Amino acid sequence: MAEIQLKNISKSYGDTKVIKDLDFSIVDGEFITVVGPSGCGKSTLLRIIAGLESQSSGDVFINGREVNKVRASERDLAMVFQSYALYPHLSVQQNLMVPLKLRRLSSLERFPLLNWFLPNRRARLNDLNEKVLEAAETLQITHLLGRKPGQLSGGQQQRVAVGRAMVREPVAFLMDEPLSNLDAALRVHMRAEISELHRKLKTTFVYVTHDQAEALTMSDRMAVMMDGEILQLDTPTEIYNNPLNLQVAEFIGSPKINVLPAESDDYGQITCMGLSMSLPLKTPNKESILLGLRPEHTELLAPKSKNCFVGEIKYKENLGPDIYLHLILNEGQHKMIVRSEPGKALDVNIGDTVKIGWKEDKIMAFEKNGKSLPLKNQS
Amino acid sequence: MSHSRSHFWFVAPAVLLMFVILILPIFVAGIFSFTDYNLGSTDFRWIGWKNYEALGKYSSYRKMFTASLTYVVIVVPVSVLLGLGSAMLISSLRFGGEFYKAIFFLPVMATLLAMAIVWEFTLDPIVGIVNRFLEDGCSVGWFYQFFTGGWLGFNPADSWYGNICSERMPNWLGNKKYALGSISFIGIWQAFGFNMVLYLAGLMAVPRDLYAAAEIDGAKSTWETFKLVTWPMLGPTHVFVITITSIRSFQVFDTVEALTRGGPSKSTYMMVYAMYEKGVKQNLVGMGSTLTIVFLGFVLLITLTQVYFINRKVHYS
Repeated sequence: MAEIQLKNISKSYGDTKVIKDLDFSIVDGEFITVVGPSGCGKSTLLRIIAGLESQSSGDVFINGREVNKVRASERDLAMVFQSYALYPHLSVQQNLMVPLKLRRLSSLERFPLLNWFLPNRRARLNDLNEKVLEAAETLQITHLLGRKPGQLSGGQQQRVAVGRAMVREPVAFLMDEPLSNLDAALRVHMRAEISELHRKLKTTFVYVTHDQAEALTMSDRMAVMMDGEILQLDTPTEIYNNPLNLQVAEFIGSPKINVLPAESDDYGQITCMGLSMSLPLKTPNKESILLGLRPEHTELLAPKSKNCFVGEIKYKENLGPDIYLHLILNEGQHKMIVRSEPGKALDVNIGDTVKIGWKEDKIMAFEKNGKSLPLKNQS
Repeated sequence: MSHSRSHFWFVAPAVLLMFVILILPIFVAGIFSFTDYNLGSTDFRWIGWKNYEALGKYSSYRKMFTASLTYVVIVVPVSVLLGLGSAMLISSLRFGGEFYKAIFFLPVMATLLAMAIVWEFTLDPIVGIVNRFLEDGCSVGWFYQFFTGGWLGFNPADSWYGNICSERMPNWLGNKKYALGSISFIGIWQAFGFNMVLYLAGLMAVPRDLYAAAEIDGAKSTWETFKLVTWPMLGPTHVFVITITSIRSFQVFDTVEALTRGGPSKSTYMMVYAMYEKGVKQNLVGMGSTLTIVFLGFVLLITLTQVYFINRKVHYS
């Protein structure tokens, strides 16, 4: 229900610039994820949107209204914190009640003792109580309403925090790494639940995380942020397939993309460690370039294969459905990670020399400075 | 299973020390409290509950309870609230906090006995700076008008200040009307810096995120944030600060000994001073022990209240 626009947002603490001239807009009802390594300024960005911190320069617009001077309590946004920030002395029910009471009741209605004499008080409170129950049912925490946060598990606390954000129907949800305090299995589960909640509520979600898996799985669009700048803002598919530069390519995808040195000739033909690639560069680049090849786009070949990378296995990582082989190429000058099905990797061992093939249409090329170079078949 | 008794030998020194240093003296005091034993005399008589009955019978002991409880009732709330207030002000400062912390903590570090002498000079009815100031104020028109309520239309001569201007300056420590108040003031002056430091630590431990959450939830005024976050999150600190201040207030001794010696007419006759006077100065060990036991009872009561609150209300996890 809200469109959020950021125009030339900068933030510095003393001499350190944490956010550099950011410019982007969040569409109404969209689930947008800001992903980046720790310390890239993504949480600060969220707090600027929330109004908990003020920007050094630039403007924030919510639904077209400039809110630079508007306090956080008056922006009508809800926020879920990494620490959940539940009030420990209040029960779950009271925790969910806080935003409703603070926003829906006048200060007279909240005044102790005096409020007992106000007409309609009971009816008003019942209304609010119903909203709390509704939210509790959606999140399946009805049975926890009487407990204190200290008596809840991490996952339950997380639900209560989402509930507290949800009850008062804010124009947008801001989430600051809400899942990072949960264990791995629960995190995967809550990922699905939050996406489901977004589908149900159809409200704008701004979600900050350092976990690229969360970003890739949940968002409509994701912004990759590094050193206070947004490097790329696009759909998860587009960012995974066509990263604008090497930094994005290296951050998104697990394990990290393999980067190998390569050269291109006058016609854009790419050669990497003596192997020539079938797809040429769109515009020939005479300088030496870098070749990006994701582990999932490589494969283990039969020992007699030709025209392939040759490497020695240094380490074998068994994840069950996949096995990752860590190789060294060219007598240790380069490293490469290869994904293989468990069946194929059964009889290779650490120390063996193996041959590696790749999917021709999946390779990526980058300039030395990291900028992406389009290939002929790519747009 | 071995039947060695060596474990007894390992704990024996500690148990023995604890018994001799802590438990035995209380036990002995308990026994003496039922006797009329005087230090130096060779025998004593069992007099049963007579010493305890005396506490209710004689007006000096009733005055003792009144003085002690009044002192506690004045010093505890005022020094706790002042401590909390100053801690909140200091923690909201962007710079200069260290300066105020040091200043307010000075009375805690200073020896109260030495400070009492300074207070004696300050509050002296004739040469003391307080009365000199008040006296000079009488002849300053606006000051006189302001403090006598003359500017509100009251008759200046009827007010307290107008009165002391025309009659004579108060004898802060020598007058029954003022002595307990003066001693309490010094007690607050001395205690609130300590409470402030405890509250500063408590405030530091309040998670910043809770304030952010309160703001997002719509708490607009400082009062609302205080009610929703600061006050409840300081729960454990409150219990600790109130308990420690209560016990320390019950123990007040140095100022009484140095400034009023329990007087005038027993208006500042505090429990520990009474213990000292009976048990040490007058050698009435029996009565001194009785007072000690009653005093311990008070302290125990405060401690049990603290334990109750810690177990019930303020422990959130």
